[in-house]
Amino acid sequence: MQLYSPMSTTPKRKAFRAPPLAGLDGLRIGILENGKLNADEMLREVAQLFVERHGCTVRTVVSKKNASAPAPAPTLVQLAQEVDFLITGLGD
Amino acid sequence: MSAVKPRIHEAPDDLLAAIDWCYEQGWTDGLPVVPPAVERVKAMLAAETRPAETVIAHHPATGLDLSLHAAAANAVMAGCLPEYFPVIVAAFEAMDRTEFNFHGSTASTGGSAPLIIVSGPLADEIGMNSDVNLFGPGNRANGTIGRAVRLILRNVFQMLPGISDKSTQGNPGKYSFCIAERARGNPWPLLCEAQGYAKGTSSVTVFAGGGFANVENHGGNKPEEILISVADTMANYGCITLGQSVVILAPEHMKIVADAGWSREKVQDFLFATARRSVEGMKGAGKYRDREYDAQHGEGASALAVAGFMHRGLRPDDILVTMGGGDAGGHSCFIPSWSRGRSSIMQHNAIAATPAGAKQ
Repeated sequence: MQLYSPMSTTPKRKAFRAPPLAGLDGLRIGILENGKLNADEMLREVAQLFVERHGCTVRTVVSKKNASAPAPAPTLVQLAQEVDFLITGLGD
Repeated sequence: MSAVKPRIHEAPDDLLAAIDWCYEQGWTDGLPVVPPAVERVKAMLAAETRPAETVIAHHPATGLDLSLHAAAANAVMAGCLPEYFPVIVAAFEAMDRTEFNFHGSTASTGGSAPLIIVSGPLADEIGMNSDVNLFGPGNRANGTIGRAVRLILRNVFQMLPGISDKSTQGNPGKYSFCIAERARGNPWPLLCEAQGYAKGTSSVTVFAGGGFANVENHGGNKPEEILISVADTMANYGCITLGQSVVILAPEHMKIVADAGWSREKVQDFLFATARRSVEGMKGAGKYRDREYDAQHGEGASALAVAGFMHRGLRPDDILVTMGGGDAGGHSCFIPSWSRGRSSIMQHNAIAATPAGAKQ
């Protein structure tokens, strides 16, 4: 019996990791919080550890309006220009 | 990215062995599927006028596309007849809109399932059930259209339970969650008419539904008595959010409401105004957030939003209300939106006519 595959025929998308940072000292931090309860507080606490241990500065804090949707492209472009690394994660 | 041709597998000729073979491929929702035999898939595709490679939905997280061909293969597996196929296509075209956010609503711990509501003459033409047991079981069209949606999410978009679908407890609707709006005896304009489609055009409405809550009321004889039961269910501390709602009124309840001259809009206003909790109560449940209160009471707020209270939804038309079910029984239902709030907004779409000769 010949069966058609029920899978997508789209070729697998290639994903690449960003190159690792050479160091953390003095870098600019961005925070992208997902808008859920406690996300802002948790991510700020994490950022504070980098401030204390590596002299980083928190430059930009951005909130997503929709926790489960990707951040808008303009937001990501802006963040990429203003910060050296980004802290993001799920609060709940 | 350009798509490759659909793959053809050689499976055992014995039907039962082929069903087992489909299990081995990981293609099922846990129940046996109809093997997607080449000729059956082609017959399903005859219910569409566009080329089989036409992409009707795109998954933003994985980049995977849904072609008509893949949709047809999964529709066969679910047990659909070709005349059901335009409903599935229209549903995915609606879910593909950014506002529906179908990746989030299918990946989330919230465990929603896409509720499919078919409105208009097509529902009867393809034998859908809007009457006794409309949510199931027992009707092939309702059961298999909803199941095809789930199989597409699984097989095409790879929303796999425990891996990419992280629903905390799941939802029985994730097997199938598809109904028809009851036209017989419905005193209100059908959804497809209210949505603005031309006479004779049927529509599908898709809603990321977070479950099913039965609303029992056999003692009420006035609209307010019936609807306060619905509103109370909508506003319980486990359900109340800024999210949208679906309410399917049983014919008994609808008769009480309509005999008193209540329109759909009046019911929506009553439900929005009544489905509420005080700010203090919300704080007591640990569910109050300033930003949600501000969204509901700030600029552009509904005139029915009362200061000091959180209502369900942002405005009355966030509540879809129509009729469904058997003639007997004071059992309506409320279906809450996925998880918290407004991360998925319900969508509707016209259902294309099936080409002549495509029906089995």
